[in-house]
Amino acid sequence: MLKLGTKSKVIVFSLFTIYSIIIIVPFLNIVMNSFKSLSEIFLTPFSLPKQLRWENYVEAWTKANLGVGYLNSFFISVFSVIGILIISSMMAYILSRYRFPFRKILYLYVIAGLAFPARLAIIPIFIMLRDVGLLNSRLGLILLYMGTGVPFSVFLLKNFLDDVPIELEESAQIDGASPWTIFRKIDLPLIKPALVVVAIVNFVSVWNDFFFPLILISDRSKETIPLAVSVFYGEYAHQWHLLSTALWLAVVPVMIIYSIMSREFISGMTQGAIK
Amino acid sequence: MKIKWYNLLLFISPAFILYTIFVIYPFISSIYLSFFSWVGVGAKKYVGLKNFYDTLFGSFKEEFFNALWHNIYFFIVVSIVEVSLGFIVALGLATQIKGYHIFRSIIYIPNVISMVLVGFIWGLILNPQIGLINQILKAIGLGHFAKAWLGDPNFAFNTIIAVNIWRHLGFYVLVMLAAIINIQPDFIEAAYIDGANNWNVIKNIIIPLTIPTAQTLILLLFIWSFSVFELIYALEGVQAGPFRSTDVLGTLFYRTAFGGLGSARMDLGLGAAIVTLMFLIILPVSFLYIRLVERRR
Repeated sequence: MLKLGTKSKVIVFSLFTIYSIIIIVPFLNIVMNSFKSLSEIFLTPFSLPKQLRWENYVEAWTKANLGVGYLNSFFISVFSVIGILIISSMMAYILSRYRFPFRKILYLYVIAGLAFPARLAIIPIFIMLRDVGLLNSRLGLILLYMGTGVPFSVFLLKNFLDDVPIELEESAQIDGASPWTIFRKIDLPLIKPALVVVAIVNFVSVWNDFFFPLILISDRSKETIPLAVSVFYGEYAHQWHLLSTALWLAVVPVMIIYSIMSREFISGMTQGAIK
Repeated sequence: MKIKWYNLLLFISPAFILYTIFVIYPFISSIYLSFFSWVGVGAKKYVGLKNFYDTLFGSFKEEFFNALWHNIYFFIVVSIVEVSLGFIVALGLATQIKGYHIFRSIIYIPNVISMVLVGFIWGLILNPQIGLINQILKAIGLGHFAKAWLGDPNFAFNTIIAVNIWRHLGFYVLVMLAAIINIQPDFIEAAYIDGANNWNVIKNIIIPLTIPTAQTLILLLFIWSFSVFELIYALEGVQAGPFRSTDVLGTLFYRTAFGGLGSARMDLGLGAAIVTLMFLIILPVSFLYIRLVERRR
């Protein structure tokens, strides 16, 4: 790769340090605020909290409805991801392993979804879910995320599978194995790395999504984390210590997961768009 | 391999049906709805092209073009800054600097945080009285630069774009980095042996070989630019203040379709017309992108 002299190395390193600080400071700011009292935030913005006010955490947690938010976000994300993994791997398997009429058209039909933001079509989604009684429903959101997760997931899994030799499966078929057995016993174990990527990417995008819950969920007992925080934000616009605490509490689980699996995240998310 | 047709249907139908119901059908239905006037309940009233006329030439014209212009401006600024800065930062990482893995991880952090939460966090930091930015400016004697970043129509939209860059830059860095790493190391080694300096290598090898990636990114950015919503919602509300100076088609659409005080007119048909127009604008780019994706195999 590029070769640098010692002096340029120092400059590049310093620039990256500054960039990292710009990224970390906003998080540091809300962490600090989360331990302060409101007057401390106003009067001594840069100093460390005088004492750690854990009561902010209790208050923000209950007022922002975070317990419910976490449960819903977790429930919705997990079931959406499981659903996406099942239906997408089944379709990707067929698209990659079998030749049949309209195969190419089916593939194009599915990847067309990569190029159109699903949220643009929210009006009919809203009406449809309302008319079948799935407005304000976690199941409604899960089905929606499964449908919108299909293009990317099928695309990635099919491409991954295309690079895997087919001989083993052909001999299994000659031995009389059914498509379902081949899929379960041979293909699924083979595409495990791609399934991990698909799971991570979809989990993060479902967990973080705000737009669909904003429009489809109005019942506070069904709200997800981003929605819970936004409702709280509206009601407590001037309670900075509580806002910061709620924001920090909403952000921290993703940060923890990311710090453990950053490599998988990075490869997954960048493969998503460009492959 | 061969498969019986009923097995084939069994395997593809779950994904096919959900995808068709939640992605394809809603797009077609949006286009259909755009010819009606409808508040969501009761009978739809067929109005022909009236929604489109109102949006493009009639009473809704100013609001629509104001928002559309913001989307285009957003796309231009963001694609120039994110792609070029992303490339430069990726070059920096490609020198295999000390702390490569740590920097790479830190740079990507903002991308895993929900966009609306990013908006709220920056809303606190940009607060004119007690936000960190103005506090820092005052503390280092640059107090006269302190301003109402989100309350001044001259600055609000650019401030939002800056927050957007903070959130997304890491993604572009890593995509460009992947493109740079994919270049055959022998190419670069050979160039160095022939006496090329870093600048020659960047100009003659790295830039030409990463241009396809940059082009794909720009196509995607164009599509994504039309779904901007969360940051405006979090920082300026659905009214996209001050004085609609941060209004984009996403917020305009939200007000029209789902109401909110100050919407000129609440009508699902009108909202669908706005969406149909957005759809038409991104359609050519979407086709280009699909062709690229499909050809790459």
